[in-house]
Amino acid sequence: MLQILADGLIIGSVISLGAIGLSLTLSIVRFSNFSHGELLGWGSYVALSALAVFTATRESLAAPLGPFSFGWGMLGALVVSMGVTALLALALDHVLFRRLRSQGSITLVIASFGAALAMRNLLMYWYGGVPQYYTQNLQISIPLIPRSIGGGLRITADQMLVLVLTLATVTALHLFLRHSTLGRSMRATAINPALARVTGIDPERVLRATWVIGGMLAAVAGVFAGITVQLRPTMGVDLLLPLFAAVILGGIGSVWGAVLGGFIVGLAESASVSIVGAEYRAAAAFVVLILILLVRPTGLFGEKH
Amino acid sequence: MPDLLGWLSYGSFFLVFASAFAIIVLGLNLQWGFTGLFNVGVAGFVALGAYTSALLTTPETPERLGGLGWPVALGWLAAMGVSGIAGLLVGAVALRLRHDYLAITTFGVAVTIQLVANNATALTGGPFGVQFIPKPMQGWLGTGLPWTLAYLALTLSLLGLVYLALEQLVRSPWGRVLRAIREDESAAASLGKRPFVFRLQSFVIGSMLMGLGGAVYAHFVGYIAPEDFLPILTFQLWAMLIVGGSGNNRGAVIGAFVVWTFWAAAGSLLRGWVPQAEQARAAALQVVLIGVLIALMLVLRPRGLIGEEVTVSRSD
Amino acid sequence: MTAPPAPDTPLALQVDALEAAYEPGLPIVRGASLTVQRGEIVAILGPNGAGKSTLVKAVAGLVPVTGGRSLLFGQDITRVPAHRMVFQGLAFVPQTENVFVNLSIAENLELAAAVVRADRRERLDPVYAMFPDLARQRRLPAGQLSGGQRQMLAVARALITRPRLLVLDEPSAGLSPKLVGLVFDKLREVRDSGVTVLLVEQNVKAALALADKAAVLVEGRERLFAPAAELLDDERVAALYLGRHTGRQAQGVQP
Repeated sequence: MLQILADGLIIGSVISLGAIGLSLTLSIVRFSNFSHGELLGWGSYVALSALAVFTATRESLAAPLGPFSFGWGMLGALVVSMGVTALLALALDHVLFRRLRSQGSITLVIASFGAALAMRNLLMYWYGGVPQYYTQNLQISIPLIPRSIGGGLRITADQMLVLVLTLATVTALHLFLRHSTLGRSMRATAINPALARVTGIDPERVLRATWVIGGMLAAVAGVFAGITVQLRPTMGVDLLLPLFAAVILGGIGSVWGAVLGGFIVGLAESASVSIVGAEYRAAAAFVVLILILLVRPTGLFGEKH
Repeated sequence: MPDLLGWLSYGSFFLVFASAFAIIVLGLNLQWGFTGLFNVGVAGFVALGAYTSALLTTPETPERLGGLGWPVALGWLAAMGVSGIAGLLVGAVALRLRHDYLAITTFGVAVTIQLVANNATALTGGPFGVQFIPKPMQGWLGTGLPWTLAYLALTLSLLGLVYLALEQLVRSPWGRVLRAIREDESAAASLGKRPFVFRLQSFVIGSMLMGLGGAVYAHFVGYIAPEDFLPILTFQLWAMLIVGGSGNNRGAVIGAFVVWTFWAAAGSLLRGWVPQAEQARAAALQVVLIGVLIALMLVLRPRGLIGEEVTVSRSD
Repeated sequence: MTAPPAPDTPLALQVDALEAAYEPGLPIVRGASLTVQRGEIVAILGPNGAGKSTLVKAVAGLVPVTGGRSLLFGQDITRVPAHRMVFQGLAFVPQTENVFVNLSIAENLELAAAVVRADRRERLDPVYAMFPDLARQRRLPAGQLSGGQRQMLAVARALITRPRLLVLDEPSAGLSPKLVGLVFDKLREVRDSGVTVLLVEQNVKAALALADKAAVLVEGRERLFAPAAELLDDERVAALYLGRHTGRQAQGVQP
């Protein structure tokens, strides 16, 4: 029982970080970006390549740090990936989405669907379809809570770090959105774009910030997924439904909503494994989605538009 | 002359596929072009139709449910029925919500259907799918070119029928209400026409056509598997609608044929260009190419080849 | 950051034959001209659909300008985008949704100050002094304010940016006569503090009582532009509202 909880939180961490970016995009850029999942995929693969480059130049960078499966090279790769993925998101907007903005949100969705296909298949073309991993180092799960209490809980050091870093990232983002001028400008633009403009807020600047933040978060989420599970070219599309479910559950535009939604979807997935078996994991997100649409379509913390 | 026969065979195959797609795209056009409903899970509805007809018409197999051995025509009707019901359920949940919620929901439906198809082996045959789907008229015509041509004739007639029916529908009073709803929802509502009901009807009919197209495909190829109904299929179909121009049925049909041509051409180009060992990766590039094509089309010529200006009243 | 130094012109705003449209080919404003002297209150009146809102939105950069020009204290602001207007010295108060409902009064004002990179204290204190009601309830979410209080907050938010010209779109909309009086009193206070005011109004009587001059817009063009006192009893105003054309050329006094 507790194990399901823990596993759900780990899955949920990845979904949460991805969902925040998606929620921001939805509330500020105002369309459902079906290529957001691919940013996670690209984030994880760019880190893979960066890691390979780092360890090729200095073998010591691959040496695992403490109890973790990865070394400094991985951290460097993460930073590189955040930058590249942010640029990728900006480039996609510049080349494609920006030009279609006047045509309405549905054209943008179709375009994003197509972009997703192209991005996913490029990954498939370059890296192949076989699952990949950041390291070959195996991790031993630490028994944190004995079996006698709630079935016990075993967790690896990697997983604990992922959880901690996710919470840290979310907190940092919350502080940014709450207290920095750019962050507050983003929130204002999401609530009321016209009023934001007459208040003096530059809409293009806010848009760029949205893509950059979304891209960076997606990279982190992708790397975490790669660390805790594996890298596959289809990881982007596999995560897309859980991401959307999390965003809608949390309420569009709410960061904490996306986080809570992400963890709930993660828990649903984890729970479904024990109920219907691992194959139907992805359907758990769908069930969550349908339930929230039937019960409360605006989500838990949706901000008024 | 063997060459000519070869071309004829290839051509017929090509045209059957294109026609099946055209039927589906006509359904998509009804949903999007005429009603402004955004279905990103088309592949799911197609799969439902294909699997329903396949499972009902195949002879009995021990490992799998179904296998009732029904006549093909009944299978096709059932295909339309099942996908229509799916459209009804999805529409009931998501049509009243914002446009992108419908998109996300239909996407989820397609993903879930594909998931079930892949895993519920006892029902759907799992990753191996359903084989030996009966081909209509096979009894008299055998399996060679004559049969292919006959099936092509059948498919084209069906396409023609659907096209004419839709044209009638669009010009009928029902179609006029639909257009009114699209252009000015509150005015239509004030006349006592409930927009939701009309939209739902349109969505269901569109879904039925998608199921029919799936069944036509299934009974031509004789074999279906979950990997035939991936998101790429949805995108191909949308590409067909966009390229042809949404909002009119002619555009839908032409778009289907044009994009299918591009797809096949890109496929054979890449196959010729890329060495044997890399064929799987070439398939990936084919997708990239079509993705880029669509993006270009959207940016440069959003109305498509012969589309009309779509004036959907967007209420998001 | 304050507005750029003004050349020594008495004209706060000069609108020359402005044309504006939401969509190309569907012009709403078809060549409107007016001037606003520094320190004046000018009202734009006119029947529904005349293009009054569109005109001020075009001046504020929210609606595309397709012809003509507008000058703010001598500077050409015709093509300046909406978000740069506050840096030019023009603050716009929309008619509806003119406050951020999810934020508190204080957060609304603080955001406005932060965006123009001004010191919070320095900007908020004088505004709180001018709007004591808002100061008292500064933690309240704007969504919980009454119509009148919201209007006050909307004006206060605009004043944070220390504009030289304050432009308002129907500030009396949806308010009771008493509240309209309070809002208009506040606008007089604003004018007395040195800010020029331009407002669109449906409430002809109240607007003419408040304004120094008024323009009557019909079908995208100004048909009358005269001191308010003259227009108070002028039957031409009523005629224009009712769609009748007047016999004489309806050009008002140019200052």
